[in-house]
Amino acid sequence: MGRWTGRAAGVQKPAAYPKKLYRRLSVLLLLGYLAGVVLFYFLAGDQLHFRESRGNIELPAATGGTAELSAGITVEQRFLVKIDRLERLEIQWGTYYRPNAGTVLAELRDLQDGRTVLSGSFDAAAIPEGGLTALTAPSPIEGLYGRVLALRISSPDGKPGSSVSPLMSTAESVAEGELLIDGVPTGGVLCFRAHGSDYIWTGIHYWKLAAAGLLLLALLLLIIRQRSRRGKGSYILNAVLAVSRYRFLIRQLVSRDFKTKYKRSVLGMFWSFLNPLLMMCVQYFVFSTIFKSDIPNYAVYLLIGIVSFNFFSEACGMALGSIVGNASLITKVYMPKYIYPLTRVISSVVNLGISLIPLVIVSLATGVQFRKSAVLALYFLACLIIFSLGLGLLLASAMVFFRDMQFLWSVLSMLWMYATPIFYPESILPENLRGVLQINPLYHFLKSFRLCILGGISPEPMVYVQCMLMALGALIVGAVVFRKAQNRFALYL
Amino acid sequence: MSNNAIAVQSVTMRFRMNSDRILYLKDFVTTALRGKLRYQEFTALDEVSFQVTKGETLGLIGRNGAGKSTLLKVIAGILKPTAGSVRCHGNIVPMLELGSGFDMDLTGRENIFLNGAILGYGEEFLLEKYEEIVVFSELGEFIHTPIRNYSSGMLARLAFSVATVVQPEILIVDEILSVGDTAFQEKSQRRMQELMGGGTTVLFVSHNLKQVREMCSRVLWLDHGKVKLLGNTQEVCDAYEDNH
Repeated sequence: MGRWTGRAAGVQKPAAYPKKLYRRLSVLLLLGYLAGVVLFYFLAGDQLHFRESRGNIELPAATGGTAELSAGITVEQRFLVKIDRLERLEIQWGTYYRPNAGTVLAELRDLQDGRTVLSGSFDAAAIPEGGLTALTAPSPIEGLYGRVLALRISSPDGKPGSSVSPLMSTAESVAEGELLIDGVPTGGVLCFRAHGSDYIWTGIHYWKLAAAGLLLLALLLLIIRQRSRRGKGSYILNAVLAVSRYRFLIRQLVSRDFKTKYKRSVLGMFWSFLNPLLMMCVQYFVFSTIFKSDIPNYAVYLLIGIVSFNFFSEACGMALGSIVGNASLITKVYMPKYIYPLTRVISSVVNLGISLIPLVIVSLATGVQFRKSAVLALYFLACLIIFSLGLGLLLASAMVFFRDMQFLWSVLSMLWMYATPIFYPESILPENLRGVLQINPLYHFLKSFRLCILGGISPEPMVYVQCMLMALGALIVGAVVFRKAQNRFALYL
Repeated sequence: MSNNAIAVQSVTMRFRMNSDRILYLKDFVTTALRGKLRYQEFTALDEVSFQVTKGETLGLIGRNGAGKSTLLKVIAGILKPTAGSVRCHGNIVPMLELGSGFDMDLTGRENIFLNGAILGYGEEFLLEKYEEIVVFSELGEFIHTPIRNYSSGMLARLAFSVATVVQPEILIVDEILSVGDTAFQEKSQRRMQELMGGGTTVLFVSHNLKQVREMCSRVLWLDHGKVKLLGNTQEVCDAYEDNH
């Protein structure tokens, strides 16, 4: 019993000592955490342990051929390996624009112990001009990091006049690289590329990290318990308490939003479903000729962008007017004011859920194979939702004091739309604008979302932390500003 | 624990308003640039203190703008006082406005649940009392039509029925609510009297001194945000009438 102990008579109990709630919250959080950690371990798969190596050697642009590879001639390229797990090596060939014959051998040798690491032979007749032949390791080769390898290319049966030639570049170089043509050091570098993956520390220490997180969570729960026992209460517990107390109200308000939105349209909620689909169709026809070639499965790429950004702009736009629009309620009835923006965002989440259906349908229709990583896409959607809620709280409070905020926001959100790769590939942005993408949280959410669905793999573990930090950052800023401002709302309405 | 249902302790409510109510960023920037950004302080309540004991009916009188509504809003928790504190023991039902949050597109039934939730009723409670609300409102079959089709009397009846379905511990009433046609007015008067009797603590604002004399055990006279007089009904009402 204290100040503002709830309202209605004998209906909803005022905040009792939240022991039961606390216990439920703790159990739920701990179990949820454990389940999440284990689930993530399986869903993230290889991406948890390895990432595309930073030491990959890229194919240099060819400037000429090395030597015609007839029998007895060898071309050898040495290079320093900076890849934890070597997976694939490719060599680029020149054909002199004529049909060739014979076999070529490629052999990768460790110069330190003379061991052959990888080798293969190719039919020269099948190699086109500028074509690549690949040596693929059956399983990634480990333990080569820091060693100097020699890629030796020869042909046992090549005849002059009908042999291919490995290409080279005189403009570029590789670390500790030396190109030997028939044993003679030559300037330049063979046109080849080496790919592999590196270990990530998050993968190596995953279970230790998970345990540390668990400890942290337990500590947090203990602190909350101590605080609430001493009667101080804590923001987190209060927030959970409020949400559970006002669950019925929130549900009513959300269902009101939903019912009134579709009440007088014939197609009803089908619109939520149809709208992104139609938008996708329009943009697909407009942009597909320009960007299609750059993006595999442009339809789904586009649809993911549209669905996400639609949610974002709808949630923020609705939250923006949520306080001002409910002025008559706020000045007449007591309820926690954050309920208004929160319910608006929840309504938008419901719409988002519906618009995911066309996304799934289009994905299946265009042959996207959902892997287990698709589940991880939900994580990034959650980040997007949290981010939108944070921004929505901020906008809602700003709108109370400055009514022209809505015009500012409509301009800002348009700007934001163009600054996010929704319908264009990020590669079309010039180098000096890439920085804009890096500071745009929507870009990160969207990119990871697409990677999970279209790429079929999980992003790097660090990306998860980054995205959650951005989302929580927005939420914290929004919540703090809102909390500070809310007592003055009633005066400005 | 004290016997007080409501304890108001030197509550001061000060509004800081910029003189010409700037609500636009554009105006804010231009006035700020011209250096004309001035704030006016307006004291709506000044060191108001009083207690209401359990089961008591306290009348609140005063002229327009004396701060009665502000005081009710502070007690209901809608406004946060600049200084001082309010302690309430028990559940408050503020009846400052009927039909808060009614949505014209929804049916009467849907609005009962929406409005009920906004007033803070629980789901089970509403399900349990639903029939009672419908019967009291005399809406019958109309309960399933959108309320945009209701007459104003029907709306008022529905709102009144939802608002008064509870048995609050503390009831805050801004003017006696009697709505609808004569028959319903009598019925709603009776319902109000039922609510205000039976051990409920009532805070009651009215300009109708006759009503105040009938119903209140004590009266608080508020004048320009200050407590002018607080005492038994007879005394305060007489003094108030002499003053006008």
